[in-house]
Amino acid sequence: MTLPPVSVLGVGAVTAVGRTLPLITAAISDASPATAAPRTVSDDVLADPATSKRLRRADRFTRMAVIAASDAWSTAKASLEGVPLERIGLIVASGFGPHGRGFKFLDGILDHGDSAALPTDFSHSVHGAPAAYITEILGLRGPSLSTTDFLSGFEQAVLLAQAWLDQQQCDRVLVGVVEELGEVLLHCAGRMLNHDQRISPGEGAVFWMLGRSDTPGIATLAVAPPAAVDLRIVDQPVIGPASPTIDPGHAGATTTFSPYFGHSPSSAAFQLLGGLLSMQAGRLLGRLIGDESSAAARVDNVATFRPSFDPSAATLRLTKVNSEPGPST
Amino acid sequence: MSGSSEAATVGIAGIGAVSAAGQDVPATLESFRHGRPNPSKILPFESSIDCPTFQIIADLPELPGHLNASRSLRLLVRALTEALDDAGLNEDGLNEAPGVRIGVCLGTTVASQLNNVPFYEAYRKTGHPPLDAVHEYLSANLASAVGDLLSATGPRMTVVNACSSGTDAIGIAATWIRAGLCDIAIAGGADELNRVAMAGFWSLGVMSNQLCRPFDRDRAGLNLGEGAGVVILESAAHARRRNKAHRFEVAGFGSACDAHHLTAPHPEGRGLQTAIRAALAQANITSDQVAFINAHGTATLDNDRAESGVIHRLLGETVPFLSTKGYTGHTLGAAGGLEAVFSVLGLRERWIPASCGFANRDPDLPLAPVRDVTPINGDYALSTSLAFGGNNAAVLIRRRA
Repeated sequence: MTLPPVSVLGVGAVTAVGRTLPLITAAISDASPATAAPRTVSDDVLADPATSKRLRRADRFTRMAVIAASDAWSTAKASLEGVPLERIGLIVASGFGPHGRGFKFLDGILDHGDSAALPTDFSHSVHGAPAAYITEILGLRGPSLSTTDFLSGFEQAVLLAQAWLDQQQCDRVLVGVVEELGEVLLHCAGRMLNHDQRISPGEGAVFWMLGRSDTPGIATLAVAPPAAVDLRIVDQPVIGPASPTIDPGHAGATTTFSPYFGHSPSSAAFQLLGGLLSMQAGRLLGRLIGDESSAAARVDNVATFRPSFDPSAATLRLTKVNSEPGPST
Repeated sequence: MSGSSEAATVGIAGIGAVSAAGQDVPATLESFRHGRPNPSKILPFESSIDCPTFQIIADLPELPGHLNASRSLRLLVRALTEALDDAGLNEDGLNEAPGVRIGVCLGTTVASQLNNVPFYEAYRKTGHPPLDAVHEYLSANLASAVGDLLSATGPRMTVVNACSSGTDAIGIAATWIRAGLCDIAIAGGADELNRVAMAGFWSLGVMSNQLCRPFDRDRAGLNLGEGAGVVILESAAHARRRNKAHRFEVAGFGSACDAHHLTAPHPEGRGLQTAIRAALAQANITSDQVAFINAHGTATLDNDRAESGVIHRLLGETVPFLSTKGYTGHTLGAAGGLEAVFSVLGLRERWIPASCGFANRDPDLPLAPVRDVTPINGDYALSTSLAFGGNNAAVLIRRRA
C-alpha cells in the first residue's frame, strides 16, 4: 500500500555548509571536500536576529531546528495563506535528541545534587523542546509530534505526513529532522566508528513544508517502492571508494551528499535536500559515484537509496512538478 | 458493513498492562475495585529527593543482549505479551502469518535519552568511559527493538511527546491502520522510574512529597511511577480473515498543541479543547455520548485546573471522570497506553474506580472526579493526555453493542 505523494511547498536548512539554499547549492556544487572531520554547524549560521530573543534560553539543538523550520515556513509562506493554524501539523524527528543539554542537566545533578539541578536545563533536555519552540514561534496549533529513531526517522515522518494529509487530519505538515554533535557524542562516535575512519558524523536541521499534491509546489515527495529515477542518492563514506555493492541495476546517475552534510541518524533528510537542490539547479550536484558521463543527465526525479534500510519501507522519491515518475521496479 | 467504513474501523484486539496498580490486567482490576494505591518510599536508585513513587515489583522478561539492560523495554515486553495473548496473537501466531504487516508505535521518555549518570560521571572523571551504556541505549529504541523482536515489516515509530506519548502513539497507529499501511499495530507506551527524570520534575517544583491527590483542593503535585500499557490494534479486514470480532475500537483521536509554553499547559486548555473536539468529530459523536473520562489528572495545580475547565466546557457537569494517577503514579510516556487500557476496562466492566487520592472538592475547579466505584452507562470512553511542550491528545474508545 502506498499513499498519494505530497507537494513540497518550502524547505529550510541549517547545515555544515551553510543555511540559505543558494549557499548550500554552491557548496554542494564543489566536489572537493574529502576529509573525515565532523561536519558541524558554525556559530555564525546560528546567529539569527529574527529569533535570537525568543531563543535566548535555547541550546544549539533547538536553535538549529527553529531556524530551519522558520526558513521552511518563509519559503512556503504563499501557500500558507488562509490555512488555519489548527490545520498545520508538525513532526520533528531526531536520533539522539538534545543530548548536549541533557548532559548539562547531569552536570547539575553531579555538581549540586539531585534536588538542585536547573529546571531550564531539564525542560530543554527533552526531545520535544524544539517542537515546543517551533509551535510557539510560528503559532502552530495542530498536531505536534516528536519522534526518535536511529535508522529511518525521516522516512517514517514523511510517511505519517502523507497519511495525515490523505486523511484530512491536516492541510499542511511541517516535517523536519535535527541532530546535534555534542562533545560526548563526538567522543563516543570517535571510538565506536574507529573501525571505519571514512565515516564523518554530521549535525544540522532540515525542514520541509508539505501539502496535498493538489497544492502547487516545487516538487512532489513520497515514500514509495524503488523506481527508475534520473538520480539516486546514497549515504556513502565521505572518502575512499564507493561501495561496489550499491544499486547494481540502476541505469541513471548516482551521487552522495555525505561529504558535505556528514552522517547522522537523520541523514536521509539531508541527502534528499541535496536531491531537491540538484533538481532546482537542473544538474547533478554532490559527489558523483560511478559513471560520471551521466552527469549531464536531466534531474527530474530522484530517490534516496540505502542498502541497510528495510526494503519494505521503500525509499524517498522526489519528483519535479510536471514530470512523470518512473515505473515501479 | 461497506468497504469504506470497514477501512475506517480500527479494532482493539487485545490489551496488556503492568504498573504499580497491578502486574497484569486482572491484578489491576482488583486494585481498582478496592481503591487501593500501592506506592513505595524505597527508590530503585540513590537520590536525595524523598518523595513517594509507584514502582513495579514483578518478574520481568529476560531479553537478548543489550536489550535486557532497558527496564522500559522489559516492562513493555511484559505488557505486550499479555496483550498479544489477549488478542489470540502470541508471538508464534504472528510468525505463522506470513505477509501480515505489523506496525509498531510506542511512546516513552526515559528510553529515548542517554541519561546514564554512571556513564557520564565516568566520562567526566576519566574521559574514557566504558561504552556499554551507549550500546544499550542505541539498542533500546522501543519501536525498533519491538519491531525486530517480532520481525515486523510495517511502519515503526517511537514517539517522544513527553507525557502524551502513549496516547499519541495509539492515534498514529490507528492512522496507519486506516491508511492501509499495516494490518496489525502494536501501540502504547512504557517508562521506568529514573533518577534523572525525578530530579527534573523536582527541579520544576511539580512533585509532591505526599501521595498525589488529583483534582483535590489540597493537591500538591505529582508522584512518579513506572509501567507499560499496550493495545493491539487490528484492521477489520484482518480480523475477519482470522474469524475474530472486536469488542472495542479506537473510534476517534485528536491531537493539538497549545503554542503557549515549554512546560505549562495553556490556562484555558486551548490545545486540549481542540484535541477533544477532533476526537469527537472523527468518532462522529456528540459530547453527551461520552460515558466517562479517564483524565490525565496529574495532581499539579496547573494541569488539573486547565483540564477540569475543558471537561466542564466541552462535556458538561455530569459526565463521570477520574484520574488513575493515584494508583499508578505518573508514568510519563506509558501513561497514555495504560490509561487507554484502563478505559477499555471501564467500558468492559461497566464501572470505573474511585479517583484515588481525591477527598475534598476544590472550590476553584468547576468539577470533581468520582469518589467511589461508579457504574457506567454508554459506549464511549475518552482518555486525555497533556504534556510538556503544550502537546495534548485525546482518544475515544468505543464498546460495540
